[in-house]
Amino acid sequence: MRFVARFAKERQSSFEVITVFDEKTEIEQIDKADPVVETIATKYPAAIWFERKMHDDFGIRIEGAFDHRPLVHQERFPKDIHPMRKDFTEQSLDFAEYRPYKYEAIGGEGVFEVSVGPIHAGIIEPGHFHFSQAGEDILHQEVRHFYKYRAIEKMVEGMDPLQAAPIIARISGNESVAYQIAWRDIVVQALGTVLPNALLKRHALLLELERIIHHLTDLGFISNDAGFAAALAFCSKLAEEARRMMKHLTRHRFGFDAITFEADPLDIGALGQWLDHLQEQMQWFREWVIDIPSLWDRFDTTGILTPYKAKKYDTVGIVARASGMAVDVRLNPFYLEHGFRMQTQSNGDVAARFKLRLDEVANSIEMMRRFMMDNAPSTCKVQSEAKGSYSAFVESSIGELFMTADIKNGKIERFFVRDPSFMNWQALHLMMPGNIIADFPLINKSCDLSYAGNDL
Amino acid sequence: MIRFWEKRAKTSVVTEHPELETQIDQIRRSIKDEVKRKFAGSLAIRMVDSGSCNACEAECNALSNPYYDLERLGIRFVASPRHADVMLLSGLLTFNMYHHVMDAWAQIPEPKWSVTLGDCPLMNAPFQKSFAIKGPVAEHLPVAHHIPGCPPDPETIMQGLLEFLKKI
Repeated sequence: MRFVARFAKERQSSFEVITVFDEKTEIEQIDKADPVVETIATKYPAAIWFERKMHDDFGIRIEGAFDHRPLVHQERFPKDIHPMRKDFTEQSLDFAEYRPYKYEAIGGEGVFEVSVGPIHAGIIEPGHFHFSQAGEDILHQEVRHFYKYRAIEKMVEGMDPLQAAPIIARISGNESVAYQIAWRDIVVQALGTVLPNALLKRHALLLELERIIHHLTDLGFISNDAGFAAALAFCSKLAEEARRMMKHLTRHRFGFDAITFEADPLDIGALGQWLDHLQEQMQWFREWVIDIPSLWDRFDTTGILTPYKAKKYDTVGIVARASGMAVDVRLNPFYLEHGFRMQTQSNGDVAARFKLRLDEVANSIEMMRRFMMDNAPSTCKVQSEAKGSYSAFVESSIGELFMTADIKNGKIERFFVRDPSFMNWQALHLMMPGNIIADFPLINKSCDLSYAGNDL
Repeated sequence: MIRFWEKRAKTSVVTEHPELETQIDQIRRSIKDEVKRKFAGSLAIRMVDSGSCNACEAECNALSNPYYDLERLGIRFVASPRHADVMLLSGLLTFNMYHHVMDAWAQIPEPKWSVTLGDCPLMNAPFQKSFAIKGPVAEHLPVAHHIPGCPPDPETIMQGLLEFLKKI
């Protein structure tokens, strides 16, 4: 059974702790006056961040957990404030006195710690990495995030689902289309309607385009981090062309607000031509980079995540598939009918994640060609929302995105989203031992996880 | 490697799409002049993300792709605030980033300017104020110039930097 998410909801007289697995969902009711719940992190290690977050958000005590440190609430966050509770309505908080955070660190003679971030050297999102080093060798790393915490779950509470859509589209810029599709699925379920097939294909096409853009950018940056800048120039050129195609199709370079309930015919002439061009370029790229031994010298056996650990930590997306796990939301009849083929690698190293991206771009091109054949205009009527609890799964360019919402009287009562990065960040440290610190950027880039989607 | 050089010769320099070419060329030329005049040929920018969605960062990275190649104008993104003339700030200025942003700003030697990037820093994006957001940025920092957009595309960023350079 694969662990997906664990989160809490506030009810009239109790808290509800919901644990989502791929096969079932468990609900526990707990006392509001003295909220306690037993940890599941000893069995599902990736549950620990969810539980620490649950404590920060609601003040729910986690019994038997091996880690009780705050997660989202950092050094200056006021103590004993649990902002996801309904009775918390402050719009602004003052900084509290600085309380140091105790990092996971390994001691010993000659062992030292290296702190990196939250502001990094490049143009990149903020986050903190804390290394325990024996010379060049990484002994341990702790990933510490939530610098970008904007309290989006709280922000959208009480909003009309359509009013919340532009916010949800901007949670994580690289995965905007995926977030919008997840939200679309929730709205559609709430309406009790079914989307016309043409609209489903249109949205799926844009999702594959988003994936292509993200993968192309990564293929460039991963190579660049191994000192092969020519590949960055090559791939960033292709990525720019792909972004321009996104703008041509949606009037926005990232497809913000592009997932609507109406679709006009696309310029499939230009799209088809661009796909041909991209396919030919990627074929050339593959043959070119395969022949650069110094590149593979850096990629091979770097940052290995073993299949056992990938499974134990319930990783998703590229990271999971590069370690042999066949996890992909797209493994369903709709996608299979349009040419989806499950891509996996078995080595779990940087090389595996790099090759996987190459294969996925090729498969996405193929799928886009099929999706674009249905180019008729299409609409779906949207009225006011019913009451209920709805969930959605979407395969973003990073991995499985899980979103859920309670809607009551046409307003959002509780919104929860688990970015694929939230799972995979927790597995990043497993790739470090046995590597040198200079390879950390390369390993990190090969996973290319989102900070914004993780922090919310 | 022979294949690479063959490809390199065939691809040549990638020129902009014709409809953009003149406009971008103009921006490039005038930016170059301004940078030369005011910053002795090299303007150093420290980009700081204070809680964006990462789209603004993606567009700043795109400025280095062969279509825009910002660095040839003498504008560089630098790794340390201590090497910078300008702090380019994106995002909503979150509660958790506040002190780190102020720290980075304090580390930039005078004379210095802060330029806000995208709709978030001025709270013009769809996000609403929450307890975890300290924005708008102008309440906490002197903002010399603002580049609007959600996100601003690379051309707009270049245009915005030019406007900033003309202004100071």
